Amino acid sequence: MKRRSPRLRIAASPCHSFKWGMKLAKDIRIGVFVCDCGSNIAGYLDCPSIAEYAETLPNVVFVKENLYTCSEAGINEIKDAIKDENLNRVVVASCSPRTHEPLFRESCAEAGLNPYLFEMVNIRDQCSWVHMQEREEGNEKAKDLIRMGVAKATLLQPQEPIQSEMDPKSLVIGGGISGMTSALALANRGYQVYLIEKTKDLGGLLRNLSKLAPSNIDAKELIAKQVEAVKNHKNIQLFTSSTIKEIQGYIGHYDVTVSTNGTEEKFGVGVIIIATGARVFKPEGFFNYDGKRVITQFELEALFKSKKFKSKNVVMIQCVGARDEERKYCSRICCLTAIKNGIAIKEQNPEAKVHILYRDIQAYGTENEALYQRSKQLGVRYIKYDQEKPPEVLDNTVKVYHHLLGRELELEQDLVVLSTPLIAGEDNEELSKLLRVTLDENKFFLESHVKLKPLDFATDGVYLCGNAHYPATIREAISQALGAASRASIPLAKGTMTVEPIVSVLADEEACRGCGLCVALCPYGALEIAQTEKGRKVRVIPVACKGCGICAATCYVHALSINSYTDQQVEEQIRAFLSG
Amino acid sequence: MCTGRVDPTMIAEAFINDADGVMVVGCHFGDCHYITGNVQGQIKVGLAERVLTYVGLSPKRVSFDQCSSAEGERFVKLVTDFNQGVRELGPLGNGDGLPAPELKEKLSIAKTILAKEKLRWVVGKFTVFVTEGNKYGEVFTDHEMWRTLDTIVMDEVATHQIMRELGQEAVAVKDLAARLKLPAPDVLRYVLALQRRELVDLDGVEGNSPRYKAVGPTAQVA
Repeated sequence: MKRRSPRLRIAASPCHSFKWGMKLAKDIRIGVFVCDCGSNIAGYLDCPSIAEYAETLPNVVFVKENLYTCSEAGINEIKDAIKDENLNRVVVASCSPRTHEPLFRESCAEAGLNPYLFEMVNIRDQCSWVHMQEREEGNEKAKDLIRMGVAKATLLQPQEPIQSEMDPKSLVIGGGISGMTSALALANRGYQVYLIEKTKDLGGLLRNLSKLAPSNIDAKELIAKQVEAVKNHKNIQLFTSSTIKEIQGYIGHYDVTVSTNGTEEKFGVGVIIIATGARVFKPEGFFNYDGKRVITQFELEALFKSKKFKSKNVVMIQCVGARDEERKYCSRICCLTAIKNGIAIKEQNPEAKVHILYRDIQAYGTENEALYQRSKQLGVRYIKYDQEKPPEVLDNTVKVYHHLLGRELELEQDLVVLSTPLIAGEDNEELSKLLRVTLDENKFFLESHVKLKPLDFATDGVYLCGNAHYPATIREAISQALGAASRASIPLAKGTMTVEPIVSVLADEEACRGCGLCVALCPYGALEIAQTEKGRKVRVIPVACKGCGICAATCYVHALSINSYTDQQVEEQIRAFLSG
Repeated sequence: MCTGRVDPTMIAEAFINDADGVMVVGCHFGDCHYITGNVQGQIKVGLAERVLTYVGLSPKRVSFDQCSSAEGERFVKLVTDFNQGVRELGPLGNGDGLPAPELKEKLSIAKTILAKEKLRWVVGKFTVFVTEGNKYGEVFTDHEMWRTLDTIVMDEVATHQIMRELGQEAVAVKDLAARLKLPAPDVLRYVLALQRRELVDLDGVEGNSPRYKAVGPTAQVA
């Protein structure tokens, strides 16, 4: 096997010649477990040679190659070795810590070893998978990674999980369908809910809508039912015409100040759900919009509701102010709205003509697709237009270049309806700063992870649902609201929070000058300055800390450190890597 | 580990231990797992690059890049390109401002000043100064911040070297300037500033030139 020359020399020499191994304690006993992962790793890497190499590393007293380290047999081998070989550090070289680190840590704990004396090395994703075509290099890289893992393991310190009590109350911001649904879901589980609505009425955008697609439910009825339930629920305390003045704290312990017409009220909550919704974009300057002859879908709903709709030639234009340079995103719900309203017009008056000028139709899901087909059957005409050649609204007609016919059509109209996107709420930026949660490029609230944590924020204890996140249909808003309430119930039900202790720690209190540089940079509000007997010192709020390490990398007196990622541990890994 | 955890001293440490290149890759802005860690990461790596470059390292040996976990091809390209650039230079000392042994010595100076208060304070204030501004509401551009940092780097490196020289023996300013390859008026300015801080004192006069030496508890530290 090809080896890079200096590595060979060092690897073959006794442990104490390692530059990074010299100052290490004598009683460190590390066990290294090399996983074959069936053929996932062993199919590409020479696992026996890797295990053999691991034996030469400083402080390593036991090495075992497993077919599957995560299998019961593998786990037992770890547990037995901890007891029989008196191991006080365990390194597993296998797959991603994301999936298996909790299991291995637990196994260590079951065998009586502090779970934070465990280190994981990912030789599957980072070696065998990505270097299938370069097996020898992949093999060498696996050895590098194990050497680094062992170096770090040597310096690991035991940690205790951090526990914190939960305030079992919750705050829901926004009294639209999402907010009300979340509030009811939490209240029905028996948790006290504070529901804050900015306007004087509950219901949000739904109050202005007529029928809802695809179920054809009357919006008014749906709202009335929810409002009644919210108002009569003993666990919901409702604040209308109210705004959030101040929020401080972290999961389990938020102090909230609400202002209602100038009078302030303070209370504490453990979790917060953001359901602030969105606004309808008003298309001033687009297609001669005047709110009378050229209106928005939102205004058309009002005509339906008041039964004033009489038009016979309706032209709808999609993507007005959406998917353009200013607002690049698709608002998703406008196609369905246009389809639904097209059907409503046709059902009211089959003689009426409806043309929908679109760029692309968004009718995902079987029911929405069926609605789209139904509108076509009822005679709603769809004409695709090119963004480069947009329709032109004249006094009694709309001119549009027909994409497929390759010529311009002139459609009669007595009403033009513009489908405009939902845009982010005006208070989003202020609220995002108050809660230290993030916004996306369009100022909608941004979830922690699009797939793994779609209803959570990166900040623990804060959840989101409905239009606050992104334009949603009623159904989506409701399911998100139920989901967010469910997510929020988890810490409430547990009653205490257990947090990973891989967090910031004031390692050198003497050195800290309480300058606050770290406090200003902490993305989670997990640091604060406190008056102590020794003067102003920084205090870490471990439950709020995520362990990003910005504070430790910034502190100019090196007072702060991150558990399991100390300067010393990281530098030891660097030296171990370069000593190979 | 978040790029926000990358201490600039870690990058210096890698070169001191014979790394030929250091690449730090984080999430895209706005998509950071730790919200703003990557913003801090870019600034810290940028600082390390500036300090190390100032003492003689080729800037091609340090890079900060961004890549999401879904951008495998982009990651491969970034690493391949960086690796190629470093390979073209060769081992440390080739294509750099100084040959390896001298460079190593300077790199350890770089690490020391990267660990010290002055640079870290300004770097810590970087994002606050370019977004919210200072106490007087003055908002600075990135360019202005880096220019300020460049000046501090220059001062810190010079001061550190002067303290080290004067800690060993008393030296006249013009000899000091020759050793450090800096203009004598600049060196005089640094020496006088150190004298005001009572870190350096007059040791005697040799011909027409006063000689200075380091005094006080920090004399040994440098």
